[in-house]
Amino acid sequence: MTPERVLFAFIIVLALTLNVGFTVGDISNPEHHNRYELFGAIVVSLVATVMKFGDRSPLGSTMLATSLVADLQLIAAAACWGLYAGFGTELSPGQMATVVSLAIGALVANVISVVLLIIEVANLRR
Amino acid sequence: MSRTRHGSFILLRRLRRPLLALICIYATSVLGFTLIPGTTPEGEPWHMSFLHAFYFVSFLGTTIGLGEIPYPFTDAQRLWATASIYGTVVAWLYGIGALFSVLQDPMFRRISHETGVERAVRRLREPFYLICGYDDTGYRVAREFTEDGTRVVVLDIEPARVDSADVDDHVVQVLGLVGDASDPTALTIAGLTHPHCAAVIALTGSDTINTKVALTARLLNSDLPVICVARDHAWHPRIAAAGADHIINPFDTFAERVAISIRTPSLQVIYEALTTQAGTAAAAVQQVPRGRWVLCGWGPFSRALRRQLRELQIEVFVVALDLDDSFDAQNSLRADPTDAAALRRADIEHADTVVAGTSVDIDNLAIVLAARKLNKRLFIIARQTQRRNAAMFQAAPADLVMQSSYVVAAEVLRDLRAPLLSAFLSRARDEDEVWAAALLQRLRDSVGSDVLESWSVCIDAASIPAVYDALASGENVVLGRLLTRVDGSPHALRALPLMLLRGKDYTALPGLDERVQVGDHVLFCGRALARSRMRSMALTRGLAPQAAPETTATGPMSAKG
Repeated sequence: MTPERVLFAFIIVLALTLNVGFTVGDISNPEHHNRYELFGAIVVSLVATVMKFGDRSPLGSTMLATSLVADLQLIAAAACWGLYAGFGTELSPGQMATVVSLAIGALVANVISVVLLIIEVANLRR
Repeated sequence: MSRTRHGSFILLRRLRRPLLALICIYATSVLGFTLIPGTTPEGEPWHMSFLHAFYFVSFLGTTIGLGEIPYPFTDAQRLWATASIYGTVVAWLYGIGALFSVLQDPMFRRISHETGVERAVRRLREPFYLICGYDDTGYRVAREFTEDGTRVVVLDIEPARVDSADVDDHVVQVLGLVGDASDPTALTIAGLTHPHCAAVIALTGSDTINTKVALTARLLNSDLPVICVARDHAWHPRIAAAGADHIINPFDTFAERVAISIRTPSLQVIYEALTTQAGTAAAAVQQVPRGRWVLCGWGPFSRALRRQLRELQIEVFVVALDLDDSFDAQNSLRADPTDAAALRRADIEHADTVVAGTSVDIDNLAIVLAARKLNKRLFIIARQTQRRNAAMFQAAPADLVMQSSYVVAAEVLRDLRAPLLSAFLSRARDEDEVWAAALLQRLRDSVGSDVLESWSVCIDAASIPAVYDALASGENVVLGRLLTRVDGSPHALRALPLMLLRGKDYTALPGLDERVQVGDHVLFCGRALARSRMRSMALTRGLAPQAAPETTATGPMSAKG
């Protein structure tokens, strides 16, 4: 057990948990979705991406790819939110649904990331 | 499996820490701005949105201050902005510093160099030659090929020599890879297994490495022609076993040429005219004396010369420091040949030829000067090992300078450009002086005194469609008709067929009334102009009418073309 591996797993799982935390609730209800949680999810996802840089094993490159997908979806969600909020009004249920559905897409990528992490660990044990 | 890694991945991995620092500091700053309450000009409490916060932090780190947006900051916000300035500026400096240090890193540079060359080689869509070793010989060979517009890839372990491939005045860009030629991966990157690789030429200074190149080429790309230089005879069997198509030994080649000069001087003139740029068919026949020879210095060079001279029953005397016990005092002297006293003891006053053949240029020059002082009539052969000393050797009173890079380059070019010429010359070697003198006279009559070029023509649909079409329609085409100009000019091209290859039968000096057949290979020699005329004739599908009188004449052709 090394601190690096703990930190690596921690960051990847945290990216998933924050993402889940943001998306649960009524998809079109702004009350159910916290903007700080989305911000946290983006930052942790970016950190996870950078930590996966340079790993050239097939598993490592797939993990990097899933992370990049998650970043893309989350940043798209934040950008939509920022644009919609720029009109000075509360988000309509439809607009909120767009933001959350983008984040749900990122959630899928994060789930794959965690599954790959588990596979990697399982391979190490054998 | 390629060793080349993607440079960008290495860059990203090295930048992991600075990027993490940048992300964390940005995240903290942005978060702080969204949390710290501000006030609108109307005194209403207000929280910065993430969009504004990110916008503000972005320009904060890079420009420090486009103003406080959208409203003037409160004291708490200003305090946070101050902290953010230091944080983001430090993070940027750290990141940019790390980026530059990676870009300057020798390993990163090597990998991006390899990746770049590998990509450029992979994109080649025309035949190219792979030259291993880019010193004097490699430079000469590469220059000859690029002047023809042929692509060349150069592999050398010395970065300075590879860089010089960029600086040298090549007409076509030469791709250079810094790498070890004995490393199969480097050879693969340089295009050894590329479908367009036409031949690999091993010209490094080490016989071991050249052997390894031949072996690698045979195993990784078995159809590829391999030309290999070996200076030591001990390596010949190994290189032959590795399957090299040609083994070039500069010392053997030179010694053979010396023997030809002694035995058949006219053939030597033809040889020079056909294989070098400066030689002409009009050059005077140079008389290399048959008398007593003194060889200074002992090594592969002297050994090759002595073997050839002994076959001609010429008396050979060796002067060298490192002679073993197999030499007797009658025809050898264990002494420093640069010493005039030693040369005198070797009875140089009564010798006809002296060979300054040590492996050190200054020693050879010293021998040349000392020997000339002792005997004005001597024929002096000097061995030059470094190209940069050329001016000194030109100024020295030597009659013949042997430069192995020059010998090797000429051999390589002949083997690759005109394999038929090699076959012709090896047959001509067995002929006597009468035959050679007659051929030389015929060349002078029909081609003139200009620089000779040789080229081979294959009679097939692709390279000379006009002749192919004529043959296909049942017409008879004789060799002389290939030399007749299409524009109706009565003067024939200034060229002469030297060799005809039909199936596996070689015919030296075929007559002009010889009928050609599909699949024949014909070796011509003549003026460069005749060569380009023949080439354009082949391309424009033009063919002179059949009944021109010159075409069937077997005598000397009119020589004003």
